[in-house]
Amino acid sequence: MFVRCFFMKESIILPFIENTALTCARLSKILKMPEIVNDKTVFTLLEVTKSIQKTLAERYKSAYWVKAEMNKLNYYSHSGHCYPELVEKANGKVIAQIKSILWKDDFINVNNNFLNVLKEPLKDGIKILFLAKISFDPAYGLSLRIIDIDPSFTLGDLEKEKQETIKRLKSEGIFNRNKLLQIPMLPKRIAIISVETSKGYADFLKVLDTNSWNYKFFHLLFPSLLQGDRATVSIKNQLKRIKKVREHFDVVAIIRGGGGDIGLSCYNNYELAREIALFPIPVITGIGHVTNETVVEMISFSNAITPTKIAEYLLQKFHNFSVPVQKAEEKIRDKSSRLISDEKTKFNSEIKLFRSVTENILIGNRNQIKENINSLVQQTTFRFKNEKEYLRTFRDEIKRGTLIFGTSEKLKITRFALIMKKDVIFQINQAKLALNNTEKNIENMSPKSVLKRGYSITMSNGKAIKNTENLKEGDVLETIVFEGRIFSLVKSTKNT
Amino acid sequence: MSDIPTYTESFDELQNIVSEIEQGEISVDELSAKVKRAASLIAICKRKLTSTEEDVDRILKELETPSNENIAEQNGS
Repeated sequence: MFVRCFFMKESIILPFIENTALTCARLSKILKMPEIVNDKTVFTLLEVTKSIQKTLAERYKSAYWVKAEMNKLNYYSHSGHCYPELVEKANGKVIAQIKSILWKDDFINVNNNFLNVLKEPLKDGIKILFLAKISFDPAYGLSLRIIDIDPSFTLGDLEKEKQETIKRLKSEGIFNRNKLLQIPMLPKRIAIISVETSKGYADFLKVLDTNSWNYKFFHLLFPSLLQGDRATVSIKNQLKRIKKVREHFDVVAIIRGGGGDIGLSCYNNYELAREIALFPIPVITGIGHVTNETVVEMISFSNAITPTKIAEYLLQKFHNFSVPVQKAEEKIRDKSSRLISDEKTKFNSEIKLFRSVTENILIGNRNQIKENINSLVQQTTFRFKNEKEYLRTFRDEIKRGTLIFGTSEKLKITRFALIMKKDVIFQINQAKLALNNTEKNIENMSPKSVLKRGYSITMSNGKAIKNTENLKEGDVLETIVFEGRIFSLVKSTKNT
Repeated sequence: MSDIPTYTESFDELQNIVSEIEQGEISVDELSAKVKRAASLIAICKRKLTSTEEDVDRILKELETPSNENIAEQNGS
């Protein structure tokens, strides 16, 4: 609002100022003595202002060194001129203020000096020691025309602000607050505060995203101005946004790069430094400069000179995790295979021992068996020999016994035979005698003897006839007599 | 603690197994189970190194919804 207002004012004033000389000349031609109206001497505004201008010009002839606070620089890029707002404060109250002008050429010189000495451009809210002329213009009014500004005065003032910030953070006990946070073992989710098109951001992402170990990071850009006065608010706003989604992030990285060493005094700002010190997750900085460290860098969890170094710091964290995991893998593989091979060796030696023990037992047993066989064979042979010997003796005895027995039996038999022979002869003789008697008897009973005594035997059909049965008339009968045979025919039969 | 250990837990457990094995505290009977566990822990750790589960869309959505903090600020002012 203020700026726009001023801008409008400038467009009105400027043509006027540029034509001041011309206007004044024209006016002086028509300038007359003061009018007398109703006994009153009346001056025109121009007459009065001209008079003031003349008086002041006579009074303040030279230029003066003045110190003041430059509230606003009010630089107009269109014209290149600045209209700084100068104030002096006491206990926070403005006790003096005045407009000022810093012409384009002077501004360029002063600004270059500032950049050289302070590494900061001329900006709002700094204390300056400046060389100025007091100028009054009838149309433009009173102002200080700044000719030069001493950068070393401001430098001291900025340094004072920085020391002030440090002192305040320390006295509040929050200077180390962010440093004392615990960074996760794998800071893989990174909220980046940077400028999308900056070289530092590109360098950072390049190192992170193309790392040869294939580590994966998640990062989200929270775009912000990174230098100059407005950076303070811009960074703070993004920190506020990140705080809202802080569960998604492990670390915040403030990355600047490629901007030279200019405009970094914002990082000494108390409000910003406090915000970072109290931030709930670690904030790491890679602001990318070589001159003296800013407060934000001092209090951040970790600071690196360049964005590349920050990325390397994060990669190192991954290494610190990855290397032990890798080592663990190797160790477990080595140790477990060694454990198994040790067990195997132990087992094998057990087997060997077992085998040798059992083999020894077997050999012992086998030897014993062999010995037993041998002794059995020996014993048996011996026994057989003995038995054979015994049998032979026994056989010889039997033989002898048999011989003796045979001889005696033979004798007995011979004796018996002699006796038997005698007996047989006697018997035979007895029998012969008896037989002769019998023979005599039998002879006496024989049919011939009977027949001799006159008996006969009648037969029919070769059979002796004892009855009449089966005899019929005409049958031929044969009758045997002692001497000869008679054949006769049957006339009749008669039973008695 | 969820069923899936965090990578810090996995890392610590892995280191424990390594030191147990190194100090010969593991018998052959346990070895197979321990090695199997270690292998899965290593897999978890390695996966953590090479993957990310964050979803940009979700974060952006959360950024759009006003947080409690903001509401408090608005009410206060």
